[in-house]
Amino acid sequence: MVQQGGDSSSTLEVRDVTIRFEGLTAIDQVNETVTPGEILGLIGPNGAGKTTLVNTMTGFQEPTVGDVLLDGTSVRKVNAHQLRRMGVSRTFQAGRLFREMSVVENVEVAGVGMGLRRAAAHKEATKLLDWIGLSDRANVLAGALPYTDERRVGIARALIQSPKFMLLDEPAAGMSDLECDDLMKLVQRVRDEFGCGIVLIEHNMRVVMGVCERIHVLDSGRTIARGTPGEVQKNPAVIEAYLGKG
Amino acid sequence: MEPKSPLGHMVREVWPLIILSVGLLLVVVVIQSFGDRIVSQSLTEGLIRLVVVIGLYIFIGNSGLISFGHIGFMMIGAYATAWQTMDPMTKDIFIPGLPAYLLANSHHWLIATIIGGLIAAIAACISGLAMMRLSGIAASIGTFALFMSFYSLYLQWSTWTAGQSSLVGIPVTTTPWVAFWFCIVAMIGAFVYSRSKFGLALRASREDEVAAKAAGVNVTGERVISFTLSAFFVGMAGGLYGHFLGLLTVDTFYLPMTFITLSMLVVGGMQSLSGAVVGTIVLSFVIELLRKAEKGFSLGETSISLPASSAEVGLGIILLLILIFRPSGFTRNSEIYWPFKPKVAVTEVTHRQS
Repeated sequence: MVQQGGDSSSTLEVRDVTIRFEGLTAIDQVNETVTPGEILGLIGPNGAGKTTLVNTMTGFQEPTVGDVLLDGTSVRKVNAHQLRRMGVSRTFQAGRLFREMSVVENVEVAGVGMGLRRAAAHKEATKLLDWIGLSDRANVLAGALPYTDERRVGIARALIQSPKFMLLDEPAAGMSDLECDDLMKLVQRVRDEFGCGIVLIEHNMRVVMGVCERIHVLDSGRTIARGTPGEVQKNPAVIEAYLGKG
Repeated sequence: MEPKSPLGHMVREVWPLIILSVGLLLVVVVIQSFGDRIVSQSLTEGLIRLVVVIGLYIFIGNSGLISFGHIGFMMIGAYATAWQTMDPMTKDIFIPGLPAYLLANSHHWLIATIIGGLIAAIAACISGLAMMRLSGIAASIGTFALFMSFYSLYLQWSTWTAGQSSLVGIPVTTTPWVAFWFCIVAMIGAFVYSRSKFGLALRASREDEVAAKAAGVNVTGERVISFTLSAFFVGMAGGLYGHFLGLLTVDTFYLPMTFITLSMLVVGGMQSLSGAVVGTIVLSFVIELLRKAEKGFSLGETSISLPASSAEVGLGIILLLILIFRPSGFTRNSEIYWPFKPKVAVTEVTHRQS
């Protein structure tokens, strides 16, 4: 199922975004623009503000200062569920599946959330599970899945109705090298076949360096480097803040 | 194994609904066969409560939010229905504050009950738009605050409700069979809703509110839809109750009614329609037995009677035991299983969802 959801003129942009929580600055004047068809890595040590930035880009967190723009229009006041309908989807660190529901229902919910009727949502969900290789698990309770499959269901849920942008929050956490290879292939397939722009938060450097064309490095809420994997790896500030420790 | 014929498939789809309706029908037929007027009255009361509990299930079961406020909607429905069905002469005397149209006219009880339910639904929709942004315990306290406001308002609003005294002269039209048919309609409504895209989306928010939002679900909107639909059924149950008692007092719709109906849902299993039905039937029997025992029964020469309020205490103890030992209720939050040719994985899942 090849769907070209990405429209090449589309952009998801954060402009001079600052986010403060009761005086604590979580994000400090960050700029970034994502376009369909690219895979952007978002890295940084723990507490750097990566998830906060993703929350801001997906409507879960309104920036204190600055703006979030989808195709040039401000979406800083748009709710998370509305932004999903406008084509910005995400996954979560902890999976956050609907545990008491079946795998296919988990994906179906997103179809229904996108405005499909239940039968149409079920059909789309089934197709998507087939595409992602989980059709044999469709009727299993989501709470009973191993974490690798859990991540896949999360991705399937984020993919229904072809979003323009998909933000993945640490999809490889806890995975073995072999499992990481599968995940990297999946992320590339999503980009190639759905054409969406992907933002990948990841600690696993093998995954980040393996699939991302561009990398944005945060430390304590500030941008410390941006560039290709090769450039970022050589950047002294990055080495000091992040890679040096590893 | 999937049934081959389309009919077989349909039967399987609506299986819990069929088994619950038939089961309820049997209960009604057996109890009616006693031919005892008092027993038949308890039956009617139990069936009206079942409509309330099914209404509660529509909201609580699918949203995961506990509402302490639904009896307020029952009260709204009860009075709104009585305003329409009472004899104009009686209305002139007891509730002269009604608008001229109501003072001069009466509606058939069935139409009046449906309109009463709609008025309760409108009240729920308006209050829900403000309240359903809240989650968890804040939402529950919100519904309780709303309930207390409605209660106090109706207590003071004497030109419409007769205030602290009773509103008498309501035609008695609710027979056991009338209440039974309302139960069937409520069950169909609850079943269709929970299988619909609205029910699915709301259950997703019950499992994980944040993930539901990320899946495009308008959580507040879905809650308001469910709150409104559930208030519609609870409101109609209020209409039935007034036309069962023949009189209304505001105090009828207070904490004891809230406690009994919520207990029934919790004991049965909050997240399934089967739980609502089973919990109501089982606890109604228990309450009746304890009430009988309060009045006393004789064993040979000695007569034994339990102290007053034993029913309430007994109910409280059962509720606590269920909460401690089986928090998902008698039904473990599942619907009643498709009994033929079971295929483990499929049955488990299709029937777990309510």
